[in-house]
Amino acid sequence: MESTTSYANTVIYIIEGLLVAFILINILKARGGKRLFIRRIQGLNYIDDAVGRATEMGKPIAFSPGIGGLSILTLQALSVLTHVVRKAARYGTRVIACVCDAMIYTIADEMCKDAYEAENASEFFNGNDIRFLSDSQFSYASAFVGMLHRERPAAVFLFGHYAAESLILAENGQAVGGIQIAGTPDTTQVPFFLATCDYTIIGDEYYAAGAYLSKEPTLLGSLVGQDYGKIVLIITIIIGIAAATCTALAPGSTAAQWLSTHFLEYFK
Amino acid sequence: MHTLFAPKHGVELWLYIAGSLVIGAGLLLLLCQTPQRLRKPVIAFVTFLGGLYFTLEFLIPHDNYFTHVMPEVVNAEIVVSCFTLFIGIYNLFGVHGRAIRRKQPGWYNSVAFFAAFFLIASAGFIKDMRPDSAATPLFEILFNGFMNSLQSTTFSLIAFYIVSAAYRAFRIRNSESVLMMITAMIIMLGLVPLGSALTSFIPANSFFSFLRLEKLSYFILLLPNMAVQRAIAFGVGVGSMAMGLRIWLSLERGSFFDEEL
Repeated sequence: MESTTSYANTVIYIIEGLLVAFILINILKARGGKRLFIRRIQGLNYIDDAVGRATEMGKPIAFSPGIGGLSILTLQALSVLTHVVRKAARYGTRVIACVCDAMIYTIADEMCKDAYEAENASEFFNGNDIRFLSDSQFSYASAFVGMLHRERPAAVFLFGHYAAESLILAENGQAVGGIQIAGTPDTTQVPFFLATCDYTIIGDEYYAAGAYLSKEPTLLGSLVGQDYGKIVLIITIIIGIAAATCTALAPGSTAAQWLSTHFLEYFK
Repeated sequence: MHTLFAPKHGVELWLYIAGSLVIGAGLLLLLCQTPQRLRKPVIAFVTFLGGLYFTLEFLIPHDNYFTHVMPEVVNAEIVVSCFTLFIGIYNLFGVHGRAIRRKQPGWYNSVAFFAAFFLIASAGFIKDMRPDSAATPLFEILFNGFMNSLQSTTFSLIAFYIVSAAYRAFRIRNSESVLMMITAMIIMLGLVPLGSALTSFIPANSFFSFLRLEKLSYFILLLPNMAVQRAIAFGVGVGSMAMGLRIWLSLERGSFFDEEL
């Protein structure tokens, strides 16, 4: 049977090998005590402020980890959920997390339980606040909106994978007057979140959230390793542009032939 | 491997189901009885094996053994996720049952949930067992008539939300919002016949033809917009890979593991 994904080629071996090496080396360095700098990400700074606001107002916090199934993207959203729950547990603030996937529900439930235990606030944990709404996109959106209007949370967090329902969730979050922080790597939904949310975390900032919030050396090292990986990608892109331009402008030239043989060939 | 996962029928099928349940429950029980300090390395090892399978399937050149057993692995993943569906339903029953018991505001919505759940589930099961029964048209009415229509209604609400969101987005507050407003106007006008009509006085083959709205719109979408989208995609790809690597090697900290393994 043919795989649904394609197989690796030579360039993938080299680039992925370098990326993995950079990440692991930097993780080891960070664990060894090296201080690593991470730039300020405004949206992530306001997560704690939003939790504080909900506590002051005596209202709950609503959290949606998106409509994705078990994937890296959703696991990152759950990582942010854990941070929010831990912060909220310190002040006894309710966090209502509504999930769209039964498998994610079990993980979210366990993570929230652990987060309350970690803060010695197990008495505040209410299993009914972690809710599986529906695995259907718009049924989930309707149920989440219903919850927003009934509970009227002071802070709404929308992290994870979203599609057409993003605007429905975010607009209703605005309607109930909650401070909204959204984070998604889905470029098609970013404009909706930018228009409706107070803070939006986009692109790779989304994956930096764990490191930024926890300041864990392992995660910080990984983040620095990713930056080195991006440098490798940028260099590859520049060489690729030069090779393609050279091949297009002077197809018969020695440089074009050399680049075609030694560079472009490995992408096939 | 293929023989083990080949379709089974009759008594053999029931024996396989019973056997799988017993083995699954036994393994789960064993994991639950394992001390906490041993449980984490076991989970880390199973995670590593799972990740190793997909990594090797991708890295080893075409038509390798791992590709051949892909359907069985994917099926196993589906079976595991099906078990979690029961936990999801249990949660729904818990939340809505409590609402009815305590007569919370809007408790009648929870009654509607139970009615809808049992009605559509019964119709669905009976339809599959007896396709010529009255349950088939009933299921069609419930699914296509109610469910799909309600979903379409929710989807159509987006049109109204877009108006209010666009109003907020296009309010001119600073230089960035001015730039966004101008860009959005060019894109929107360039994609409708009115936009093309507004700048149709510029000859299509003249030097200034790039100022025609449809060309400007195309340029913005194809070059600056695409470049940014790809840049974000690269960042997301690298971030996703790093997190995948951390989870695979059980290096993730902060949320999934609170201490070093």
